[in-house]
Amino acid sequence: MKRTPRSVYLAVFLAAALGLAGCGSSGNDAAAPEGSVTVAVQELDHLTPGNHYTSYEVVLTLFSPLTGLTEEGDLDLIQAESVESDDAVNWTIKLREGWKFHNGEPVTAESYVKAWNYLAYGPNAWVNAGQLRNVVGYDEVHPLEGDPTATELSGLKVVDDTTFTVELKGPDRQFPFQLSDGQTGLYPMPEAAWEDLEAFDKMPIGNGPFMMTEPWVQDEEIVLSAFGDYQGPAPTLSEITFRTYIDTDTAYTDALAGEVDIATVAATKAEQAKTDFGERMFAFDAPGVDLLGFNPDDERFADVRVRQAFSMALDREAINQAIYAGSQIPSTSLTAPSMPGSPEGVCGEYCEFDPDGAKALLAEAGGLEGPVEILFPGGWGYEDFFEACANQLRQNLELDVTAVPATDWAEFTERLEQGDFGLNRGRWGALYPSQQDTLHALYTASGDGTLSTGGYSNPEVDSLLDAADAAPSLEESFEGYRAVQERILEDFPAIPTFANRYLFVASDKVKDLHAAAGSVRYAYVELAG
Amino acid sequence: MLDPELLELAPAAPRRSGVRRLVRQWTFMVPAAVIAVLLVVSLFPSVFAGIFGNGDPRVCDLYRSAGNPTAGHPFGFDTQGCDVYANVVYGARSSIVVGLTATAISVSIALILGVIAGFFGGGFDQVVSRLTDIFLGFPFILGAVVVLNSVGSRNALSVSVVLGIFGWPTMARLVRGSVRSVAGLDYVLAATTMGLSRLRIITRYVLPNAISPVLIFATISIGVVIVAESTLTYLGVGLAPPAISWGLQIAAGSRHFQTSPHMLLYPSIFLAITVLCVIVFGEGLRAAFDPRRHQ
Repeated sequence: MKRTPRSVYLAVFLAAALGLAGCGSSGNDAAAPEGSVTVAVQELDHLTPGNHYTSYEVVLTLFSPLTGLTEEGDLDLIQAESVESDDAVNWTIKLREGWKFHNGEPVTAESYVKAWNYLAYGPNAWVNAGQLRNVVGYDEVHPLEGDPTATELSGLKVVDDTTFTVELKGPDRQFPFQLSDGQTGLYPMPEAAWEDLEAFDKMPIGNGPFMMTEPWVQDEEIVLSAFGDYQGPAPTLSEITFRTYIDTDTAYTDALAGEVDIATVAATKAEQAKTDFGERMFAFDAPGVDLLGFNPDDERFADVRVRQAFSMALDREAINQAIYAGSQIPSTSLTAPSMPGSPEGVCGEYCEFDPDGAKALLAEAGGLEGPVEILFPGGWGYEDFFEACANQLRQNLELDVTAVPATDWAEFTERLEQGDFGLNRGRWGALYPSQQDTLHALYTASGDGTLSTGGYSNPEVDSLLDAADAAPSLEESFEGYRAVQERILEDFPAIPTFANRYLFVASDKVKDLHAAAGSVRYAYVELAG
Repeated sequence: MLDPELLELAPAAPRRSGVRRLVRQWTFMVPAAVIAVLLVVSLFPSVFAGIFGNGDPRVCDLYRSAGNPTAGHPFGFDTQGCDVYANVVYGARSSIVVGLTATAISVSIALILGVIAGFFGGGFDQVVSRLTDIFLGFPFILGAVVVLNSVGSRNALSVSVVLGIFGWPTMARLVRGSVRSVAGLDYVLAATTMGLSRLRIITRYVLPNAISPVLIFATISIGVVIVAESTLTYLGVGLAPPAISWGLQIAAGSRHFQTSPHMLLYPSIFLAITVLCVIVFGEGLRAAFDPRRHQ
């Protein structure tokens, strides 16, 4: 629930805009571009891809992932030339030839396998280690308890300079999506890194379009310059400055004043941002979903028709217009529409506004007595949204529904765990663009996001999910996830409310922004004039 | 507040002439009238809210979100599409309830401690005076923020209690001073020699003659408490939704100030007028009853 989805998926759609021929290996024949932007980011913690929580913008600009998404939402290959498997268990990854790290070292299979082994090894305690948990041997190098019995993942094998294989614990057709930008732990690291990991953390040597020229100093700006030998799509800028802000409001004001060229803005400020920035407010489809969960111990919500009635009583479009200035996406499925194969409309009538139908359905289920509280964490600008939800439920179902803020996140989580609530704020932001991540996290017993959905799980959903993950082709896996969603929606454990769009504002220096999965691709900002 | 010429001419007047003087001044009567109206409004909000025909603050239509004033909705709509006028009218009750309750709590504490310190003196006086110093040392708002953050439920009562607990020290000093000056007078000595109980002496002879400065100060402090309640609510540690309060309306309105200023403006104006009236009213009382002003 607290994961920050900031995945930037390198796509090729810029190729057309820039008049380049195709993606990948076309190299850097064109003259080096001129121009620079300053980007407002939140505080950075570390710059090592496998060991950071909050430095997505910088890390994604310094490194290139194996795969990404095209503008149309299809799988794209960046550093990888191919990612293939017959059985969805044993995967062979071939790298593009000729790619180099910023220090001139070639990017090889060894660059990946060594980095992944270090990441997975428990005693190293790198925070993104979990991104490898489905690889065979992970439990030996990273046991939940006790000491590791191995130092390397037995599922990784180097075949030759540009080829390595990965053996997964079980069949997983979504593996190529897991290799995309958001899972920064799966980035390669050069030999030079291992000589001094601390120096690497301050000045990472990546394989991406931009490089660092000076080590990062905490709380100071980071200036990146274009990497001349980059083999992917050529960047449109020569320099990017990342400036950290503790407070997004300050960043917003600085963007208004032209001190900063690109800043994020909360969806609740969309109206203001539209007024202030007009055309230069950008909204990008993001891989996150918002939902309203129910207290599983509250008998009043035990009947599925009650939960469906609550969903039908919400006028998502009106809320979107009034609170988010129309910038978010009313949910019609359990996953964000930007997820490949997301079955839009699968929620059907239960996600459509129908106050009369809702009231009738609630009456059919025997009605509901007493006050209902919607619990949400206070102080994060969510007040308007949850008050709107409470007003809708109160007026359309004629119930005593109120939105109640918890003092902070700690109290919010505590009250969720104690069952001291009626409905609750739920959310999941995925790190990679696959329905798999959202569905596993929110709707299975072992998911990381089940606090949002009242601890929902169902053996039938589990087996349908396993089948979808193991599907022989991507198309068939999408069919499988549709079946999963249909089955979950029969139980209707939570109300899908909105799929996210992330909002950005830009100074008049910027002509256009491009993004994938909700995050700006800073290397490819189009400047005005 | 008082006309200086009038003051010079006036002899050392007994109390009653203070009242007469007050009634003749618009700087006292206008705030008094406004306060009277506000009290009635907070007792019967539905009557006043319904004047324009849309008196329910909880009837909200998102399609009218942030809408401008229309017929029947003189102040327009807030983000949720609720009538701003009805909400402002209902908001008066929270402010006044908290203002009165918190001040009542402060006054009660101040009277008890002030009388103990002023009447018994000695060790009691030392203890109470040092306690007062300690509480005066706390920054009022900071103390309230810290306590409210650790209090589970945040409603009118808990906010009032916290504000009351931090608001008594100055009043306690006032009570102590005036009790001391009364306690040494002959009639108190006489009552003591007649063998009346201390409780009776305090309630019958000391308090009635020592209470007016603190009551006047308390009137002014109602205004201070109303501001403090709004401040705390704005900061997110005072009243919480679904309560209807000016502080909450100001907090919600400030999020959209640049696009829809009316949502911030109306509750702010009402808050400012209320506080101004309470404070001017209290000042008027103080000026009229302050013995030093008549000498």
